[in-house]
Amino acid sequence: MSVSGIEIQIPRNALALLMVAQAMVVGPHSQQLSPWIMGVCLICGLWRWMVYQGRWDFPRRWLKGSLVVASVIAVALSGTNTFSLEMATSLLILAFALKLVEMKSVRDAYLVIYLSYFIIATEFLFSQSIGMAAYELLAAVTVTAAMVGMNQMHTKVRPMASFKLASALIFQTLPLVLVLFLFFPRIAPLWSIPLPGGAKTGISDTVTPGDIAKLSRSEEIAFRVEFKSKIPPTSQLYWRGLVYSHFNEGAWTQARRLHKGAEEGVIWGGEVAKIMSQGSSQRRQPQRYSRGAPVSYEVLLEPTQSKWLFGLALPVAAHNQETQFGQNDIGLTRDFRLLSRKPVGALLRYQVDSYPEVPMDLTLPRWLKERETRLPVNDNPRMRAYARQQFAKSNGIESFAQNILLDIRKGQYRYTLSPPTLPRKNSIDNFWFDTQAGFCSHYAGAFVYMMRAAGIPARMVGGYQGGEFNPRGKYFVVRQMDAHAWAEIWVSGRGWVRYDPTSAVAPERIEHGLDAALSSEDLSILSAFTKARISNFAGLADVIYVIDSIGHNWNLWVVGYDPDVQAKYLSQLIGDISPGKVAIVLLVGASLSMGLVVIALFWRRRKNRMLPVLKIFIRFSKGVKRFGFVRESSESPAQFIARIDPSQHALVAQLDHLLYNSSKSSSIELNLLRKRLRKLQVAVALGLIKEYETA
Amino acid sequence: MITTLNGILLGKEAQIKLALCCLFANGHLLIEDQPGMGKTLVSHALARVLGLSFNRIQFTSDMLPSDVLGISIFNKDENNFHFVEGPVFSQLVLADEINRATPKSQSALLEAMEEHQVTIDGETRALPSPFFVIATQNPESQTGTFPLPESQLDRFLMRIHLGYPDPDAERELLMGGDRRPQLNSLGSMVDASWLESIWHAVEKVKVTEPLVDYVQRLVQYTRRESDFATGISPRGALGLLKAARAWALIHERSHVVPEDVQAVLPSVVEHRLRSTADHSGHGGGALTQRMLARVDVIG
Repeated sequence: MSVSGIEIQIPRNALALLMVAQAMVVGPHSQQLSPWIMGVCLICGLWRWMVYQGRWDFPRRWLKGSLVVASVIAVALSGTNTFSLEMATSLLILAFALKLVEMKSVRDAYLVIYLSYFIIATEFLFSQSIGMAAYELLAAVTVTAAMVGMNQMHTKVRPMASFKLASALIFQTLPLVLVLFLFFPRIAPLWSIPLPGGAKTGISDTVTPGDIAKLSRSEEIAFRVEFKSKIPPTSQLYWRGLVYSHFNEGAWTQARRLHKGAEEGVIWGGEVAKIMSQGSSQRRQPQRYSRGAPVSYEVLLEPTQSKWLFGLALPVAAHNQETQFGQNDIGLTRDFRLLSRKPVGALLRYQVDSYPEVPMDLTLPRWLKERETRLPVNDNPRMRAYARQQFAKSNGIESFAQNILLDIRKGQYRYTLSPPTLPRKNSIDNFWFDTQAGFCSHYAGAFVYMMRAAGIPARMVGGYQGGEFNPRGKYFVVRQMDAHAWAEIWVSGRGWVRYDPTSAVAPERIEHGLDAALSSEDLSILSAFTKARISNFAGLADVIYVIDSIGHNWNLWVVGYDPDVQAKYLSQLIGDISPGKVAIVLLVGASLSMGLVVIALFWRRRKNRMLPVLKIFIRFSKGVKRFGFVRESSESPAQFIARIDPSQHALVAQLDHLLYNSSKSSSIELNLLRKRLRKLQVAVALGLIKEYETA
Repeated sequence: MITTLNGILLGKEAQIKLALCCLFANGHLLIEDQPGMGKTLVSHALARVLGLSFNRIQFTSDMLPSDVLGISIFNKDENNFHFVEGPVFSQLVLADEINRATPKSQSALLEAMEEHQVTIDGETRALPSPFFVIATQNPESQTGTFPLPESQLDRFLMRIHLGYPDPDAERELLMGGDRRPQLNSLGSMVDASWLESIWHAVEKVKVTEPLVDYVQRLVQYTRRESDFATGISPRGALGLLKAARAWALIHERSHVVPEDVQAVLPSVVEHRLRSTADHSGHGGGALTQRMLARVDVIG
């Protein structure tokens, strides 16, 4: 190899560090990407390692080419949406991994380093938690350390030194990072990024109770709620998210538009409040009912990738007062749910005022009544007959509903997370009369079906129930495992009334949360984390509360710092926001922050601070210099004093003691010294002491 | 003790103090002067007073290392070699006129001085403790001398000159006759264990930061200024501080003051310094004086 070839080779120590850095930045992506991509990464890493050891050779050109083509085809075939974020990331990571096996020169290595920084940034598209931020900070340090390693001398291989320098570099950027975070304009993307598609956890818009043999319970957080007003009892916390009006083949789905005339509008933003106050919409808010006191709360919704928002009935004026967000982006649907205009791809904060006493739909339009009573024909005949028979026996809708709840309570029904599966056809018959075991959507579904069979408008509502109060942070945590389904029936004169059949079979579920209602068999399917959380071991629970409230505050202050909040603070700072002003703020902030770093560095390199006793003595020497007493540099302080005035034994002894015999001098001693020296200085100044000896 | 020693070597109180200071700091001593100034007498007297076992090696130009260290001799009766210890196996070794020996023999003392052990025939033997070397040498300009290399000079903590006695002392000397017979009447005033306790006491003498700063400034000065061919080694700096501690102890102080450093400085550093302008190895004295005058005590 030519001399120049050797020069541009990657230093061996830097290569090892670089590979560690690569593994670190790719690592978190393994959650989103298909396993085969991770496999490719591992193989490429292994290959490069063998090349590093000198056992294998770099792949030939044709092999590299075919690998690239094969990976592109594989990504296309792997079933992710074209032009989705997953696909883009897959391609990026694949290219990144393949770059490993052709990384020969320094130039290649720098390319990989810059790509690593980019990949760190892409990870935040998927997760913005505090843990991820900390991890990526570490990854950034490692990548920087690899870059430092590239510039180390070949003869001086010290990976820990490059780590130290990299940490220092990253640490020094923090003030600037803070300034940029606070003031740099958040430019809306020129094109919208296709976000990770599909709801992955929690609620979905189709519920098929019979298909689920084992309901997986995830402790992932759905949202956190901070109440601004009095907190309602847990049994009243029904977070409505979806309304399932359509039933077919054992599956409940959201309502479809029945015909063209059907009124289906979503009212957006501020409009709701206007309608509420004017009472102009008959169907939503007749004036003669007292509105009662609202329940005010703020929801911090974790990304769901869907448009549904959650709120207590009846949500009004949902928006963020601070940022004016929601004026046009949050709407109220016809079935009184909150809806976001765009899928929630990042943490969303919104404030809601709910009026639990205001009835929903005092009068029911015909089309709606038709929709909420419709049932497929030739399904569940036993149930149909049973419902009609029961309805005939009871007097009135509400007593009929109560009777059904009584049936559930008195019968052999049990609540379980692992119910037997049911056939698509006649699923409700099967459940109600045969298996008699299920969870919330089984009971809610059967209840709604019975109501509809008797001609009563009814629908299933999905969302979350309850939540866990965090005494540390004074907020509620609602987890995916709190997902719940219940029923609403329409009663003339009261509107839609909530009935929760699950409370009949497992009242503990509503009063104390899911855990209380579970059998030991059900408990065994919960994760170890959940078990730890619900166990009564106070210390551990407290730790978990603290950790969660840290995450909550991170969401509030860091992730929640969106363009609107930024604009608000900026306008407080500089008045009207103009590009020029923002630029000035940025410039000033950046120079201030960098100046801070410079000062800190300067401060550290400064000479050791002078001892106070030396300071006092030097001031004295300067004072007497004017009167002809100049200390020779080889003269010790004690000698100097003795030369000026041989009778100053106490002063000489004290000076000698403070300088050379005590590790720390008290302020009393220092004051005494100062006083004595000042006295001597005055004596010198007054000419009482003549210079009798010249050096 | 100083008085007793002064009785032997008239009018040399300062030099005797420095010699004792050197031994209290557990360092080796080099005495350099003209013949007949009492170099050997001082060493003898020190050994006697301190109650140490004493051997004298007279260095000559035809000496071999085994003359210093010892040699394995074949024992015909037992049919094996047995080691006969050389004069170096003694608590106090007087290496008289060390610079008259060839470098080969000079360096036989090197390991002994620094490591307090000697390696002969592949076997390492420990030397007695305490172990001091007091070497005397004639000025290098005299004929028949091999100058000690810097590496060897650096191993001596101090180098002192005795100098001519002042007139009074010389008169007394001339009147009183030779002092050598008095030497035999000197009894040991202390013993080896006392010396060890002195070492511990020296270690405990307090040194504060302003003083270390001063020592550092001194050392830095020799390394920075272009007049100095070589700066003071870390061993030299350590030695300086140690000697200053011993000096403070001799003056019954529990802490070191700059005056202590200044008092021992010429003896400790003169032989380690060489002027860039003078290749003969002299000039250390002038450099030391400049160092003393220029380096500020308090920074």
